Amino acid sequence: MDLELTDDQRLFHETTVRFIESELPMTAVRALHDDPVGYDPTWLGRAAELGWFAMMVPEEDGGGSISGAGLLDAAIVAEELGRHMQPGPFLPMNVVANALAEYGSPEQRSEILPRIVGGELVAAWAALDAAGNWDEGRGVSATPVAEGYSLSGIRGTVQDAQSAGVILVASHVGRESAQFLVPTSSPGVTIAPLTTLDLSRRFADVILDDVVVPASAVVGDIGGGNALDRELEVALVLMCAETIGVIDWMFNTTVEYSKDRTAFGRPIGSFQSLKHIMADLGMYVEMAKAGAVAAAHAVQSRQEDAAELASMAAAFIGDVAIMVSQESLQIHGGIGYTWEHDLHLYMRRARSNSLMYGEPGWHRERVCAIHGL
Amino acid sequence: MSDNNTTSNGTDDLVAYRETMREWLAANLPRREASSALRAEGDISPERLAADRAMQRKVYDAGYIGILIPKEYGGRGLTPAHQQIWSEESRGYAVPMPGGIASGVTMGIVAPTLLTHGGEEQKRDWIPKILRGEELWVQLLSEPGAGSDLAGVLTRATRDGDTWVITGTKVWSSGAMAADFGICLARTDWDLPKHRGLTWFKVPLNHERVEVRPIKEINGSAEFCEEFLDELVVGDDMRIGDLNDGWTVANTMLAFERGGGGGDHGAPSAPKGRRRLAPDLVELAQQRGITGEGRIRQLIAQAHIDDYMQEQLTRRVMTAKRKKLTNPTAASYIKLARGVLEPLRVEAATEIAGTRGIAWHAGDEAGHTAATNYLNGRIYSIAGGSNQIQRNIISERLLGLPREPGFDTDKSFREVLDAAKNWGVKGQPKT
Repeated sequence: MDLELTDDQRLFHETTVRFIESELPMTAVRALHDDPVGYDPTWLGRAAELGWFAMMVPEEDGGGSISGAGLLDAAIVAEELGRHMQPGPFLPMNVVANALAEYGSPEQRSEILPRIVGGELVAAWAALDAAGNWDEGRGVSATPVAEGYSLSGIRGTVQDAQSAGVILVASHVGRESAQFLVPTSSPGVTIAPLTTLDLSRRFADVILDDVVVPASAVVGDIGGGNALDRELEVALVLMCAETIGVIDWMFNTTVEYSKDRTAFGRPIGSFQSLKHIMADLGMYVEMAKAGAVAAAHAVQSRQEDAAELASMAAAFIGDVAIMVSQESLQIHGGIGYTWEHDLHLYMRRARSNSLMYGEPGWHRERVCAIHGL
Repeated sequence: MSDNNTTSNGTDDLVAYRETMREWLAANLPRREASSALRAEGDISPERLAADRAMQRKVYDAGYIGILIPKEYGGRGLTPAHQQIWSEESRGYAVPMPGGIASGVTMGIVAPTLLTHGGEEQKRDWIPKILRGEELWVQLLSEPGAGSDLAGVLTRATRDGDTWVITGTKVWSSGAMAADFGICLARTDWDLPKHRGLTWFKVPLNHERVEVRPIKEINGSAEFCEEFLDELVVGDDMRIGDLNDGWTVANTMLAFERGGGGGDHGAPSAPKGRRRLAPDLVELAQQRGITGEGRIRQLIAQAHIDDYMQEQLTRRVMTAKRKKLTNPTAASYIKLARGVLEPLRVEAATEIAGTRGIAWHAGDEAGHTAATNYLNGRIYSIAGGSNQIQRNIISERLLGLPREPGFDTDKSFREVLDAAKNWGVKGQPKT
């Protein structure tokens, strides 16, 4: 989607596509639909060898990226994950890796980060409340106890919690927001898997019932709400990039189908009633790509307006994803309604992503709030 | 202005270029007031026109008009980076636009078209005059019977020795009252298919065989004109591009028009500095005390986001063109985006304005602007190729979708006209 990649990034892109196509082509993706974890854990290690979980991490902590702008490189991968409907915890692992790299203690950076980078430890990001709202951690209360903190509450819709070894939990200590790195093996942690619209994505609710963690599990400072906002920005950039891959696939597939499919004696793509819809979609897809690139650059370089641009992109791209999904199915007609056709898999992820970290209306409201309106 | 700029693109040169420009602008041009109006209003007096032409000459002499245009045609022969600096630095200033929109058409559409298709002598003679503000041009393009179907023009140019005799009616030519010349599309062969018998001419507008009449528009102003050419005689040296190859030239011209060359294309946005949240809409909402209402906030944010995404789209298309990743028709994405989103934005503004947009006190700019913008909201979805035409262009030339079957492409234009006249009631041409 970025028209101005460096030569190294281009090469990285090619490698990424080759890896995906050989490891998890669509037949393999479909075979994993009923798998409770959603992916093969050994595949994660092979992805790690390509640096998929190292990009947000500085070299001194065992990471490194192709271009030195890790989020832009990660966006290249995310887009292809969307285009190829890949499963797995790419987004949460990179969000958590970035949070630890930017806000983690020396111990967290030396003990936890290298295991995430190596794909040995799956990290999940538990930011939302039980209803899926952005509550800045209010739904989990962390109480100081002798051993550290005791956490109780629910985090909803946590991606890949099922396979996670550690979860970054947004919570509150009194009236201060705080984040904790919670091992899923801790007593009192219950992972309640959810049935998902997106067949290649795993979500679970995480129920914490008097889960005791040491004080060293705090990530960043107590009251350090900035870290959570920063995680959201990074998550939105990766999610938007993935959605771009999804809508690009749907759009291109629909255009090609309309050239092949004939009715009333000609390709249906020659009817203005359909080609005008596709022209509009093409325009919106181009705008969405432009917006995703702008947001990625803003968040990568921590621009002053990064939060605003991330939410603007999420709002716009969310709406475009819905539009492209709906019209793609309409133009495909009956064939698009079959299980066999891949379109529904993409529609599922497009809608899933447009709701995952705030629906478009929520992001629009956030834009107003950022501007102090 | 040092000659270094023409021989080197070094960063230091650009920094110095910007610095010199900044000083010159501050010393020589007044600041521009930001306006949320979609369209400038008011007639252009001869005095105003003369003053603006003189001002353009001043900017030209300083080296800031024709930055990208080769030196042999009176320009400065500098790089897009220099042009970009001008765009950025001059944004807050009242850059002279003699004749208003006519200036935008001349500089943004006519000049680049002439550079692409004009003869060597034409370019050496005409382009410097354009840059100096001596020649203002408008497009003589649409006709009462040929708008979206532009290739259906009926204005005829008939050869007479070394000259051409041109007769016909042109319409929707923005700014023609103030202009000196028109770039006119005429039919030169009626026995060829309609896209293949067209040729372009430069025609004088201040001429006894040409009548220019303003058209009063729905907002009460008169920027558009209608022109009647009655056996106007021009020399063959006024022909632009090859005989009967006018459609090629037309496509070049329309791509410039759609790609941001029209002077003020691009979403209405805040002047330079930190981005502000749709200031015009916020102001309207504040005046009514409804900034806390969810629906109003959604409308404001949506407009803000759409404005921004249009800017980013423009950047993206420009980058793609520069890197030769797309063809020039990608400019239609920019045109369509504005054509689709501006009516929505205007409707949002009208809703937020509430009754102030239908009844306001004398001198209440916000109410007046909301009402006028309501009337102007469909300009960009119709003018310069309607949304529907853009969608055809995008789907056929960018997405590779097949054309609708046509009844007007394979036979001579003469036959096309006959068949259309005798179209049967059941939707089939009579045979």
